[in-house]
Amino acid sequence: MHGPEIQWYVILSAILFTTGALGVMLRRSPLIILLSVEIMLNAANLLLIAFSRLHGREDGQIFAISVMAVAASEVVVGLGLIVAMGRRHVDLDVDKLRTLRG
Amino acid sequence: MANFLVWCVWLVAAFACLASALAVVSFRNPFYSALALIGNLASLAVLFLLLSGEFVAAGQVLVYGGAVMVMFLFVIAYLGDRTEESPWSGGPSWQIVGAVLAGGAILAEVIVVVGLEAGNFLSQPKHIGRSFGSPEAIGRLFLTDHLLAFEVTSIVLLVAAVGGVVLGAHARQLEGDARP
Amino acid sequence: MIDAAAWVCLLLPLASAIAITLAGTRVSRRLTGYVSTITTMGAFAAAVVAFIGLLGESPEDRTHTTTAWTWLSAGPYHFGLTLLTDQLSVVMMLIVTGVGSLIIAYSLGYMDREDEERRFFAYMSLFVFSMLLLVQANNLLILLAGWGMVGLSSYLLIGFYQERPVAIAAAKKAFVMNAFGDATMALALFLLIEHTGQLDYAGVFATSPQSGTAANLIALGLLGGAVAKSAQVPLHTWLPDAMEGPTPVSALIHAATMVTAGVYLIVRCHTLFENAYIVEDLAAALGAITLVMAGLIALVQTDIKKVIAYSTMSQIGYMFVGAGLGAYPNAMFHLMTHAFFKALLFLAAGIAIHALTGEQDIRRLAGVGKLMPYTKIVFLIGTLALVGIFPFAGFFSKDSILAASLDRGWYGATIFVIGVVGALLTGLYAFRLYFVVFTGEPSPFAREHYHAHQGKEGPVSMLWTVGVLAVLSCVGGLLQFAPFWDPLSKWLDPVDAPIATATSWEEWFASGLSLSAGLLGIFIAWSIYAAKRRPAPKPVTLFEKKFYWDELYDLVWYRSTESLTRGLYAFVERPLIAGSLTAVTSAFGLGSRELSTAQNGLVRSYALALAGGIAVLAVVFLAAR
Repeated sequence: MHGPEIQWYVILSAILFTTGALGVMLRRSPLIILLSVEIMLNAANLLLIAFSRLHGREDGQIFAISVMAVAASEVVVGLGLIVAMGRRHVDLDVDKLRTLRG
Repeated sequence: MANFLVWCVWLVAAFACLASALAVVSFRNPFYSALALIGNLASLAVLFLLLSGEFVAAGQVLVYGGAVMVMFLFVIAYLGDRTEESPWSGGPSWQIVGAVLAGGAILAEVIVVVGLEAGNFLSQPKHIGRSFGSPEAIGRLFLTDHLLAFEVTSIVLLVAAVGGVVLGAHARQLEGDARP
Repeated sequence: MIDAAAWVCLLLPLASAIAITLAGTRVSRRLTGYVSTITTMGAFAAAVVAFIGLLGESPEDRTHTTTAWTWLSAGPYHFGLTLLTDQLSVVMMLIVTGVGSLIIAYSLGYMDREDEERRFFAYMSLFVFSMLLLVQANNLLILLAGWGMVGLSSYLLIGFYQERPVAIAAAKKAFVMNAFGDATMALALFLLIEHTGQLDYAGVFATSPQSGTAANLIALGLLGGAVAKSAQVPLHTWLPDAMEGPTPVSALIHAATMVTAGVYLIVRCHTLFENAYIVEDLAAALGAITLVMAGLIALVQTDIKKVIAYSTMSQIGYMFVGAGLGAYPNAMFHLMTHAFFKALLFLAAGIAIHALTGEQDIRRLAGVGKLMPYTKIVFLIGTLALVGIFPFAGFFSKDSILAASLDRGWYGATIFVIGVVGALLTGLYAFRLYFVVFTGEPSPFAREHYHAHQGKEGPVSMLWTVGVLAVLSCVGGLLQFAPFWDPLSKWLDPVDAPIATATSWEEWFASGLSLSAGLLGIFIAWSIYAAKRRPAPKPVTLFEKKFYWDELYDLVWYRSTESLTRGLYAFVERPLIAGSLTAVTSAFGLGSRELSTAQNGLVRSYALALAGGIAVLAVVFLAAR
């Protein structure tokens, strides 16, 4: 194989994942949080594809495609929620949505 | 020569990937964050191509970039200007420190593991044939080994579609009731 | 037969105590008194039988032991419930039961209208039993059991008037000080077991260490017990307070018998004391200090019973001097005569107190002798015996101790001088008491409150018992007149051979000097209190404050302990112990409050928790590989 070995892909994927995680933990807007979740999912996909190439079998790619489908469904539901919140003029700030407090 | 080219492409794509991810997380305007995510997706598709995952790369661009992100942009446009004043503030006092620590810990663990395995297991990719990552290979696997995953994924999509309709309809229903 | 007599003597008072206790209020109060008196007289009869039995034997054979059962068996150590009847113990048995039965008979009259009369007689019988157990024991363990039980009986009887807080406090004081002595005795017994493996007299005296630290410690421990029980310096402060008990109690326990148990102990264990010369000399020194100090304090007391109590303390000092210098038969002789005249003094005082409805202040009792001539005469007899005037009992016994002290070099000579000074003081305070209370015109109080008992000075039981004691005080001393005849010394010789005996001229010299000292004291007292030629000197504060012993003990034992406990409470108990409890609860409260901040309802912090959990799990999985 030409180019970087698999470990570089793994490191890249880890950094992407961490970035996405920080975004989830540190941003207040639910839209951005959703986008950060997308980043995390993509990082996982990258890892899957890399290992699929390492092992020489396409099972990892199958998994990545399923992940994409699930990510799409999750975005649908998430955005539906956000639209519903926006329609009711609820502040789009996760810090204000704390009825789970206890 | 080929190695060098591949390295260059890899570096550019990786850099773009990281930069766009950082941009997603840091921009105040969600519209710009979504656009940055599209850039992220594109650079990831390039990386998939480098890994001989052609079908997946195409799927990434078409499905993720074409459908999911477009939906995102529609919703952001619908919601209007939601530029945040201070994106990083709020929450309990230990949030920032804790988040950095946790994220850093995960990163460090991965790098440690990679460091331990570099030179052995991770450095010898298998030899692959020409049809690796082709649609026929993917399709065959979907319909034979991973049939269950295929079918369940379709159900998940169905459920999501229904959920989206319900969420939207519910809101409309209530708005209908609220009007005098 | 001797053994049977010993058991009967011991168990009759116990049976009386148990019977009175069990009968409770079902029997009349008079009946309990009679039961107690008759059983004690029966015990005296048994003691006489034992004595006669011993008389019939040759001196070497006069040791009889009889065991009921093995009382304590622990590993290689076995202690039996064994009674010893030998020359020394039979003398004590006779004194205890003889004087005891007289005093209990006296109480029939004295305690006649008391509500708690039954309890009194039960306790008195219990005391007689305990004292007999003490003197009849064949091993130190049973002696210690008897020792503790007499302490208990003393406590119960001092605090007999339960409603009076002063009496309760006095009882506690007596018990606590005696407990100190019990502790030192127990330590001595531990050492004895370690060095000899046994506690019965024959074995212990044969095998105990002859000299060295162990011997000194053993003797010191026994001396501690003796000093506490006999109220010598420094464990003497409980005896004057013990006068809170009824007068018969003071007579029996705190004059005739219990307080002499210390002297008995030293005489019985003289071998152990001779192995530790220093301790024996210490005993003599303590006795000498006590006899002078008590004499000085008695000069200024205004309570009749307290004067007699200090007199007891002083006379036991003489006995300690005798035992400490090694003149054992002399000490025992003085113990015997002292039992007679001291009981007589207490009981005679009791007649006066009883007639004046409980008044004990001598200034108020003054002159009551004119109203009570019989009491006056018997009290005079007792006082003369106390001072040691020929031919009354004290003359023979006290002077023989002083004579023996001349046999012990310069140390004994010093003690001799102290003893003569003590004789002077004895004459002074005793006759001060006599002249104030029983001569002169009756005080207004006496005249007003005196009421005769059915035409006589007191109940019959009180009068005849006092008379018997008066006779004994007159003739009891003639038992032994040292230069001429000494049957008592010969009798006791096989058991406790003295190491200090006086020669004839020492006897005459001692007798002459102490007699003169006593007469001088009487003369001074007469000139101040009777003939009123000189005014009474102002009482010296030092004596009035009893040489500040009580204040010293209060400071050393009570105040220091109190401040220690207060400090511990403030710095240890409250912060540490109580504080630790509240600290535990507040720690829980604090912890839960801190933990509850994690439940803030923010999605972000839950996401953080997830990320943190993943980080930890990753490490776990990696490590498990």
